[in-house]
Amino acid sequence: MSELEKDMNPEQEGVNVTETGENEAVLNAEPETQAAAEEAIAQTETAQETAEEPQPAPRQYAAHMTASAAALNAAGEVDIRRRKPRQEKKIKESKISYERRKGLYGYGFIALWFVGVVYMFIIPLFQSLWYSLSYCELVSQTDVMEKYGMDGPGIYTEWNDFGNYKKAFTENPDYPQNLVKSLGETAYSVPLILVFSLFVALLLNDKFKGRTFARAIFFLPVLIATGPVLQVINGDMLSQGVGEAAQFSALFKANFVEEFLQFMGLNNISQSFADAVSEITGTILNLIWDSGIQILIFIAALQQIPVSAKEAASMEGATGWEFFWKITFPTISPMIFANLIYTVIDAFVKTDNPVMQQVMSYARAWDYGFSSAMAWAYFVIVAVILGIISAIVSKFIFYQVD
Amino acid sequence: MDNNEFEKESVASEEVAPEMSATEQLPGLEAQIEPEQAAAEIEKKTESDAAASAIPVKKSKRQLKKEEKKRLSQYHVGSWEIITHYFKYNDAEKKHYRYILGRRVSEKVWPVFRFLILFGLAFVILYPMLYMVSCAIRPQSEMSDPSILWIPKTFTLDNLIETWNAIDYPKLVWDTVSVNVVCSLIQVLTCSIAGYGFARFKFKGKGILFAIVLMQIIVPTQVILIPQFMQFRYFDPFGLISLISGEALNLADSPWALYLQAFFCNGIRAGLFIFLFRQFFRGLPKELEDAAYLDGCGPFETFVKVMVPNASNSFLTVFIFSVVWYWNDSYVSGMFFTKSNTIALQVSNLFNTISAYFNNGTPTGIASDWLVWIEAGCLLSILPILIMYIFLQKNFVEGVERSGIVG
Repeated sequence: MSELEKDMNPEQEGVNVTETGENEAVLNAEPETQAAAEEAIAQTETAQETAEEPQPAPRQYAAHMTASAAALNAAGEVDIRRRKPRQEKKIKESKISYERRKGLYGYGFIALWFVGVVYMFIIPLFQSLWYSLSYCELVSQTDVMEKYGMDGPGIYTEWNDFGNYKKAFTENPDYPQNLVKSLGETAYSVPLILVFSLFVALLLNDKFKGRTFARAIFFLPVLIATGPVLQVINGDMLSQGVGEAAQFSALFKANFVEEFLQFMGLNNISQSFADAVSEITGTILNLIWDSGIQILIFIAALQQIPVSAKEAASMEGATGWEFFWKITFPTISPMIFANLIYTVIDAFVKTDNPVMQQVMSYARAWDYGFSSAMAWAYFVIVAVILGIISAIVSKFIFYQVD
Repeated sequence: MDNNEFEKESVASEEVAPEMSATEQLPGLEAQIEPEQAAAEIEKKTESDAAASAIPVKKSKRQLKKEEKKRLSQYHVGSWEIITHYFKYNDAEKKHYRYILGRRVSEKVWPVFRFLILFGLAFVILYPMLYMVSCAIRPQSEMSDPSILWIPKTFTLDNLIETWNAIDYPKLVWDTVSVNVVCSLIQVLTCSIAGYGFARFKFKGKGILFAIVLMQIIVPTQVILIPQFMQFRYFDPFGLISLISGEALNLADSPWALYLQAFFCNGIRAGLFIFLFRQFFRGLPKELEDAAYLDGCGPFETFVKVMVPNASNSFLTVFIFSVVWYWNDSYVSGMFFTKSNTIALQVSNLFNTISAYFNNGTPTGIASDWLVWIEAGCLLSILPILIMYIFLQKNFVEGVERSGIVG
C-alpha cells in the first residue's frame, strides 16, 4: 500500500493490524503510533542503507502525533520494535518525463523492424549500389579466391568507373528501348486505371440488390492478379521457354472477340478492325486485372462521405454530376493522390515490366554488376518521376481540416 | 433620420414580399393548392378519429408507410402532366420541373445502365475462371472441337486427377502453407507491432525512420534481391554466426530465409503493411490507451489486450492481403528456392512438369497440347485461396471499409 493511500484511509490500517495479530495496544494506538513507528524505522533504514546519498526530507507529521507516540513508547505500552517493518513499494522517481518514457517504449516496439531493416534492407541497398558501380564476379573456387585475395566465397568487386552504367545506356541495345517502353506503358495505363477504378468504385458504392456479391467479384482480381495464374491467362509465361505459349492469350482474347463479332452478325469485317477490337478488349482485360486494389481503396474512401452531405445536396437540387464534382471529388482527392502514387509504383515494379524482366534475366546469369546498374538507373528515373508527380498533384489536393 | 430610413426600407421589403409569393403561386398551381386542402381535410379526419377512440390505436409499420405514401401522392405531379403543361410554367418552375423530370428519368435508367456495365465487367473478370473450369473438365480431344464452346459433351475429372498426381498436390499445398502462410502470419504480427510503434509513440528520429518505411514501399524488390540472396546464402549477421560455429550458414533453399525476413518486418510488401497498420492505429481513440494505462497495463500489455482486439478487422484485411501476396509470389521465393516447392513456382513451371509426367521425364510438344492439364493445374493452384476468400469475403469487404486504409 502506498503512502498516499495510507494517509487517506487510516481505518484500513486497523484492519491490517488485527490481521497480523498485533496486540490491542497497537490497535488502540492507531494510526498515530504506527505512523511514528514507521517514520522511525524508515529513517534508520535509510540511514543505514544509503549513507552517501542526500537524504530525502523527513515526512512532516503533526506534532501531537509524534509526541503521543513517543509518550506511549516511553510508557512501555507499545513496543515499536515488535512490529515488522512494512514492505513498501517505493514509487520510482524517474528523472525523465512520462512522455519521454513512453517514447522509449516506442523504440522497443520498432526494434524488431529496425534490426531487420538495417540488415535486410539498408545494407543490401548500399551493397547493390556498390555492385552497380563496380566489376562483379561470383567467386567460389579456392584458386580464384587466392588470386583475388579473398577470405571466403562471395562476390568479388572492383571499382570500374561507371562502366556498368555506360554499358547499359550506350552498348546494350535493349535497355534504352525497354526503358522507353515501360515508361510509355506506365504513362498511358496509370490515368486509365485511375479513372476506371474510380468509376467502378462509384458504381459499387451505390445501394442495390446483390451489391455484396458484385463487390466480391470485383475484388477477385486482387487475389489472382499478382500470381503466375494471371501470367498463364495473359500468355506470357517466362519460365516455360515455349514460344507457343502466346496461344493462351490468343485463346483468351481473340477468340472471344471474334465469337462476339460473329454473334453480332459481323462476319466479313476487315481484319484490322477485328485486331483493333481485340487490342481494346485486351487492354480492358488488363485494366480490370490491374485495378483491384485501387477499386478497394476508392470504395473505402467513398464510405467517408457522410450521408448528410448527399441529403443536403439533393435538398438544394444538385444533380449527381454536380454532387460528384463539388463534393465527392474534393473529399476523396487525397485518396486519389495516394492511389496515383500506388499505381505508378505498382506499374514500375511489376514483374512483367520489360525493364524488370531484363534485370532479372541478367541477374540469373550472375551478371550482378550490370543488372544492379540497370535496376538503379531505373529506380532513380522512377523516383524523379514520382517526385515530379507528387509535387504537381499535391497542389491540387483538398485536405479537410477537422 | 437613420431610423426612419430603416423603417421605410423594411416596409418596402414587406410590401415586395407578398407580391413575390403571389407571382410564384400565380399560374398552374391549382394542383398544389388542391392537395393542401385535401391534406387539411385528412388531418381533420384523423383528429376526429382520434377524438372518437380515446385510446390511440397503434398502427402497424405497413399501415404507416401506406398512409405516408398516400399523403405524398397528394403532392405528386405526374411526368406526363409536366410535359404537357411545360410551356405554361414560368422560368423558375420550368427549372424546377426540369430537375424533377431529369431525376425521375435517371432513377429509372441508371439502374439498368449500372447493371449492364457491372455485368459486362464481371463477365470479363470471370471469363478466364469460367474458361479454366470449362477446360479442366473436358477431355483433350474436345479441345479442338469447334462445336464446343463452353459446355463440353463429356465431363471428366481425369485431367484434375492426373494433374493432382503430376504435381503431387497435397504435398505441394502443405509445403506452400508451411512456408507462405506461416510467413504471412508472422509478418502480420510483427508489422502490426512496428506500425503501432510508429502510430502512438513520440521518439527522436521517428521522421527519418518512417521515411525508411516509405522507402521500403518504393524501392523495387529487384534492386535489393541479389545482395539479400547473398546474405542468406552466406548467412552471418554482424559476424555472430561465424563467432559461434566458425562458418557462415547457408540459408538458401531453406524456408528459414523467408521466415527470418517475415519476422524482421522485411517480407513481401512489409513496408505497405506497416504503413496500413500505422494509419489504422492512429485512427483509434487515444482514450482507450489512457484508460488501459490508468488500470496499470504496460505499453505492450495495452497493445495486446486493448488495441489488437479493436483492430481485428484491420488484422483480417491485412492478413488476407499478406496470404494472397505470399501465395502468389513466385519472384522472391523463386530466388531463394531452386526446387519449385511452392504452388506459385510450380504453376509457372507447369508445362514442363506435366509433359514430363506423361513422357517419362522429357518435356515435349507445345503448350496447347497440354492445355487441359495446365488449366486444371491453374484451377488447383487458386482453389485454396478461392475457398478462403469465399468464407472470409464478407469480413474482407467490410474490413476494408473500416480498416483505415483511408487515414
